[in-house]
Amino acid sequence: MARYIMTADLRRCIGCQTCTAACRHANGTPPGVQWRKVLDIESGEFPDVRRSFVPVGCMHCADPPCMHVCPSTATFQRKDGIVDIDYDLCIGCGYCAVACPYQARYIVHKREFAYGERPTEQEEARFDPKRMSVAMKCNFCKDRVDLAKETGLTPGVDPEATPACVNSCIAGVLAFGDREDPDSNVSQLLAEHQFFRMHEELGTDPGFYYIFDKK
Amino acid sequence: MSAAAAKSVRKVPQYCYQCVAGPDLLTVKVEDGVATEVEPNFAACGVHPGAGKCCVKAYGIIQKTYSPNRLLQPMKRSNPKKGRDEDPGFVPISWGEAFDLIGAKMKEVRARGLRNEYGYPRVAASFGGGGIPTYYMGTFPAFLSAWGPVDFSYGSGQGVSCTHSEHLYGELWHRAFTVCPDTPSCNYVLSFGANVEASGGVVGAWRHGEARSRGMKRVQIEPHLSVTGAASAEWVPIKPKTDAAFLFGLVHVLVCEMPREKLDVFFLKHHTGSPYLIGPNGFYLRDPATKKPLLWDLKRNAAVSFDTPDTEPALDGTFTVDAIEVGADEDQWTHRGLAAQTAFGKLVERVRPYTPEWAEKTCDVREGTVRRLAHEFVEQAQVGATVEIDGELLPFRPVSIQFGRTVNNGWGAYECCYGRTLLACLVGALEVPGGTLGTTVRLNRPATTRQASVKINPDGFMHYPMNPTDKAHWAAKPKVRNAHDTMVPLSASSPWSTALGPTHFSWMFQKESPDENWPKVTPPDVWFCYRTNPSISFWDTRELAKRIAEFPFVVAFAYHRDETNHMADVLLPESTDFESTQLIRIGGSKFIEQFWDHEGFALRQPAVAPAGETRDFTDIATELADRAGLLREYNEALNRGAAGVPLSNHEWDFRLDAEKKHDAATIWDHACRAASAELTEGRETDGLDWFKEKGLRTRPISRLSWYLFPELRRQGIRFEMPFQERLYRVGVELGRRLHERGIHWWDVQLEEYGGLPKVLDFPGIWEKETVKQGGAGALEKYPFWLITARSMQYAWGSNVGVQLMNEVGGNVRGHKGVLINRRRAQELGIEDGDQVEVSSYVGTTRGPAVLAEGIRPDTLLMMGQFDHWATPYAKDLNKPSMNSLIPMSIALTDSTGSSADIVRVGVKKLEAA
Repeated sequence: MARYIMTADLRRCIGCQTCTAACRHANGTPPGVQWRKVLDIESGEFPDVRRSFVPVGCMHCADPPCMHVCPSTATFQRKDGIVDIDYDLCIGCGYCAVACPYQARYIVHKREFAYGERPTEQEEARFDPKRMSVAMKCNFCKDRVDLAKETGLTPGVDPEATPACVNSCIAGVLAFGDREDPDSNVSQLLAEHQFFRMHEELGTDPGFYYIFDKK
Repeated sequence: MSAAAAKSVRKVPQYCYQCVAGPDLLTVKVEDGVATEVEPNFAACGVHPGAGKCCVKAYGIIQKTYSPNRLLQPMKRSNPKKGRDEDPGFVPISWGEAFDLIGAKMKEVRARGLRNEYGYPRVAASFGGGGIPTYYMGTFPAFLSAWGPVDFSYGSGQGVSCTHSEHLYGELWHRAFTVCPDTPSCNYVLSFGANVEASGGVVGAWRHGEARSRGMKRVQIEPHLSVTGAASAEWVPIKPKTDAAFLFGLVHVLVCEMPREKLDVFFLKHHTGSPYLIGPNGFYLRDPATKKPLLWDLKRNAAVSFDTPDTEPALDGTFTVDAIEVGADEDQWTHRGLAAQTAFGKLVERVRPYTPEWAEKTCDVREGTVRRLAHEFVEQAQVGATVEIDGELLPFRPVSIQFGRTVNNGWGAYECCYGRTLLACLVGALEVPGGTLGTTVRLNRPATTRQASVKINPDGFMHYPMNPTDKAHWAAKPKVRNAHDTMVPLSASSPWSTALGPTHFSWMFQKESPDENWPKVTPPDVWFCYRTNPSISFWDTRELAKRIAEFPFVVAFAYHRDETNHMADVLLPESTDFESTQLIRIGGSKFIEQFWDHEGFALRQPAVAPAGETRDFTDIATELADRAGLLREYNEALNRGAAGVPLSNHEWDFRLDAEKKHDAATIWDHACRAASAELTEGRETDGLDWFKEKGLRTRPISRLSWYLFPELRRQGIRFEMPFQERLYRVGVELGRRLHERGIHWWDVQLEEYGGLPKVLDFPGIWEKETVKQGGAGALEKYPFWLITARSMQYAWGSNVGVQLMNEVGGNVRGHKGVLINRRRAQELGIEDGDQVEVSSYVGTTRGPAVLAEGIRPDTLLMMGQFDHWATPYAKDLNKPSMNSLIPMSIALTDSTGSSADIVRVGVKKLEAA
């Protein structure tokens, strides 16, 4: 069975937030709700300073704490590794948001718009009432992955079957694919490079890999 | 995903040209008539050098389209008083009334004469930087062409907000309106504040990402750790405005400390002016008969003309020659038995004092760092290596130097541009694979390709179209208000030249003439502005807004209200990016990092219905031409190519009937057909419908077009390095002309013209002016240097009213306020988020403090320009702008007419309200 993961080559990332904006478009999220975003992190003291850009979002853990704490079984794991939320079951309790080590979840109780009290035509067209007062987060653009099953497209290779953030990335930072397929693009990348995963010590087996150098 | 499945879904090809690093190619998804999602144009992946992607700014266009703050119908001013504090009292009018108003005014102006009593065009226009608005203004260029003389010299912030010196000297030395590394094959880049990861667009980000991934090392030398610095291998926190000293320190190491064989001696001898002999008056020594410059031939042991075949030129040494010197205004000196040095020898003498130890005192960078980087640069240059490109064997030198703003404008920028070009020559890395390249020409002509503009001059260098400085031809009376043709020979005389002069002079001289003999600068009778907001983007913006208020009739093509169209008499709302039609050229090589292996055309088209009563800019231009009585001239301009492509040649003819009014679809259909024919040598003639479906059409080109060296080698032309005889001559002549007229306020600038540059105390120029204007104790009152940095979210975008940009920009440090060194802030009692006031002797601005380690303790940084007071949404952002703090000043203007976005400031914490 496939396990879909994402990789981020930190040598390439410039923190431009194109992925953030693309995700906002593709998933129709309201202002401030960024399922994908890039952190701008500074370390050291002047003049010995490093500044790093780190894409974050749901890590689609193999052992997801958010799922374990969910009292309504709304959060679940698909067979292909994608951690998803059934909005019909979610009661918006927020346990999952607290349990997530990656602060990847959002709950919105009141509609907010880009400009004032009224939605733009796009916001109205993209509004999904099911998302009110429930937990939401990145789902690896699951509809596109599902489309691949129907059409024979390859997630991470064919744009139609690839998450919007990966498609949009202007520096070739993000890649997506099947970790279980040794010939997939992400498997190849991980075979050739050194990498780490965020908070790996927590044992969640995250599905988001940070590449930082060649092997 | 929408809640309910859309009935109709389509993806419409578009382009985004919100910044000079574009165009980006994209598609917009339209669901039931509503634009919902921007995506890269995956169909362009194979031809676009950024993999067909589009940058973050493109994702803001949908909000821009549907913003409730848009102007949706024409408006006219009801309050005749103009000023920041005056309510314009805009009232809605019909398009008919708007055209009546403007048409009547244009006819009235035309009847009075195209130029006013002082010789300045009665009509002026300002458009946003870098030619960006051209990609959105449809056929308006044809209207301007039909009109006649238009004064573009007010600009929109050029000179301080562009890489000004690079434009002028870059074009002089290597046809480089902008300069960049040959990133796909470069291995080592010294980047002085070049924030390419923010301002290089998709192509810059893509190429540099690829390069870093394969191991290219970039050293970022800048006072503040920028986005680009973050993505670099090393950060060197240099003191602001001391880059020239650093570069000359590097030059010193190469020519005074390294063995000569480490350099590309062959390149220097045969492809530069290094072996030319220099006379005692600062001009080339020349053959008395032919007046050709001389070099010393080691084979013949004699002085010979530079173009003598089969020579072995001496690079160093002193030689005895009989020769003449030809100076300014044909002054001539005859020498016999003169001991003469080579230009290279003169260079070595000049830079001998500029040791890394000397540079350390100026730049606050350890001498060891300067020396190490000099050695890395030379080692990485691989002198002697070659590579074959499309069958031609070329030098391969994978090292480059890049500059950002503030480095390459204002005092010190000439010396920086010189140092960069010279360093490239020293290792043979100028205009060859891997090295330092120019991107495009805007001052030289023809502008079709860089190579097409290359012609040899009598001294063996490239011809350059200097504005004349000889007695018979010097423009004693300026043709436009900023007097670029009078004061700045390097600005040339292309359509871009007026905006590349000292644009602040137009505003300054409108307030006060520089002297009593200067032709009075009066406001234009009519001023058009589009996609520009000089009330925010210029310098000393509060003062500038007062000058705009003096303009009697302002026509603003307006997306929403802003600080400039606050002074407008008529507002014309155009259909925006996804609502209107335009065809543009793509490919070849262009600004920043745009190097393609293809060339062609791309279309922008209506994906959604125009909002309100907005109109396609092309239809507006056509109506204006008709109302001004210029329809025939307008159509003829279109036929000549004013819409980006000539509509006929000897093989095809898609000309428009010059006597008729044509709608936008018809005009662009003709343009599309001509474009198809041009790309296929007449085989295909597909029109607008074809482009609407496909989005773009291209054909492959040779990568040899990226490099200028092959053309120079073919024509036997040398790079004009290291000696600047031509600039020296022009400067002497200009000085004479000005002094003959009693003009002495440009004397300091005239000193910049010389055979070999000197490194002055450039920060001291700003310090001196601070004391002069701010009084005794000003340096203690204003202890910080204030600088700025590009932002990918905003640079050039005219998008401050877009919520999404503010949201995602907030993820990038520095957007929210005033960046200050953490330790220094703590000394001042300032904590992160505190409201602070930053002041210069010009004005004040306010915003929250952002504490960081990645900035020098003597430096503050403000990204963007955000002290809006009229622009909806932006005016509520509570962000600062350095533009309110920068003076417009002749003393801070260099000889090219540019200044720099840097100023001495003080900062204090504001008490909570």
